[in-house]
Amino acid sequence: MDYSIRAEMVASVHSVVVDAGAAVMVGDTLMILESMKMEIPVLSEFAGTVREISVVPGDVVQEGDILAILVRG
Amino acid sequence: MSDELDPRSPRARLSHFFDDGTFTTITPEDDRGVLVAVGLAHGTPVVAFATDPTVQGGAMGNEGCRAIVTAYDRAFADSCAVVGLWHSGGARLREGVASLDGVGRVFAAMTRASGKVPQISVVLGPAAGGAAYGPALTDIVILGPAGRIFVTGPEVVRSVTGENVDMDTLGGPEPHGRRSGVVHITTESEQEALDQARGLVSLLGSQGSMDMAAIDDVDLGAFLPESSRRAYDVHPLVEGFVDAGSFMELHARWAPNIVVGLGRLGGRTVGIVANNPLRLGGCLDSASAEKAARFVRMCDAFSVPLVVLVDVPGYLPGLGQEWEGVVRRGAKLLHAFAECVVPRVTVVTRKAYGGAYVAMNSASLGATRVYAWPTSEVAVMGSVAAVRILHRRRLAEIPEESREQVELELAAEHEVISGGIARAVEMGVVDQVVDPTRTRTAVAEVIWNTPGVRGQHGNIPL
Repeated sequence: MDYSIRAEMVASVHSVVVDAGAAVMVGDTLMILESMKMEIPVLSEFAGTVREISVVPGDVVQEGDILAILVRG
Repeated sequence: MSDELDPRSPRARLSHFFDDGTFTTITPEDDRGVLVAVGLAHGTPVVAFATDPTVQGGAMGNEGCRAIVTAYDRAFADSCAVVGLWHSGGARLREGVASLDGVGRVFAAMTRASGKVPQISVVLGPAAGGAAYGPALTDIVILGPAGRIFVTGPEVVRSVTGENVDMDTLGGPEPHGRRSGVVHITTESEQEALDQARGLVSLLGSQGSMDMAAIDDVDLGAFLPESSRRAYDVHPLVEGFVDAGSFMELHARWAPNIVVGLGRLGGRTVGIVANNPLRLGGCLDSASAEKAARFVRMCDAFSVPLVVLVDVPGYLPGLGQEWEGVVRRGAKLLHAFAECVVPRVTVVTRKAYGGAYVAMNSASLGATRVYAWPTSEVAVMGSVAAVRILHRRRLAEIPEESREQVELELAAEHEVISGGIARAVEMGVVDQVVDPTRTRTAVAEVIWNTPGVRGQHGNIPL
């Protein structure tokens, strides 16, 4: 099942760590956002495959924006 | 009675809650829909009651409600915790207003006991209407896998609003664990739910005395990332601070930017409040302030000392926050700490900025002691942000390509002038700089040396 990873807060995309197609485990870092002058990792909540990375470094995302789409399992 | 107990029956559930062979029922075992018993949990005396889903779906009648009030009277008399095992459709329809009157008396008994004896609810099946508000009035709510909490069930929702929702979506572990904050702990099995309640009875009912000799120091600094800009999960730090394996987190998935929970330090129960930089950068916001405020007030009422681990960049800015009442709800945390009389020790691990610095058990709110790690920062804001405001005009005149460099230089200068952590100690907002390798002992000494008292107030479910 597809699962959207969404931004928790307004942030800029600092760097993207995994590519589309990559297999991820629980707790793997998908990307790093920058907000409140901090670099905040976005972690995978489950094991699966990255279907899509929806942002590129430098993008500004609003709360609720989709960052990536994962396929569970 | 048959030998084969229905696993949902009050007797079966109570027997799985108490230590083996320790419980005695104190109300008749008939069709009133509630059974009350006294016994032990991890050796700690406790009163527990269970609603009976095998009779009218566990609906609460006047007599059953009186049994719950009996449980509360007994807990009061014995000064022990009271645990409710809930599986009930709400008030008994066929009794009419008499059942509503009974339910109201239960609410009144719970409120009288609030802040005096610990109250824990374990919701094991549907808990609707009055059976939803019963648990909600107590200090801690645990939800088993089949637990569902709602005011009005799916059928009423459908007939009134036309919305098609099932019980799970309406009041299962996901909505209450993550969104509403109604539930403090969700579990994978019914027995785990009962075991969590047993653990809490022990932590709150047998708080123990601090054994300084049992405290071994570890380097808590190892739990922070190398880069001071990098966010991290605070859980390993919290678990490293308390005695190994003792931490029980509350509200783990709701407002995860702050972590609250009970654990032991040198064998004595303590409450932990910690910013979690991994979520929302560790910012305070309306939900996290409310979550922490309720926890602080519960600990204060039950004489549980507090340890506050601070790494906070500020309040979360934004229209959404202002409109959902970050000012009103944030004020709850200020109020909770300022009124708190139990020993409460703050440790600034990395940074404490602005209004959020004040809210996180600052010296000004009456912290028993404020420690800071050597590399930490206590300030109105980060130094770069500060110089951007202080030197706005000057920076605007500098070409963009060299502006960042100038900002960093000014920031370094600003840090020297504002004095960093040494200046904070001089001003008395930090009592002492403490090394991460000595933090457990330093905090334990303060708690050990501070008289145990408790706040004289209830624990309204903020």
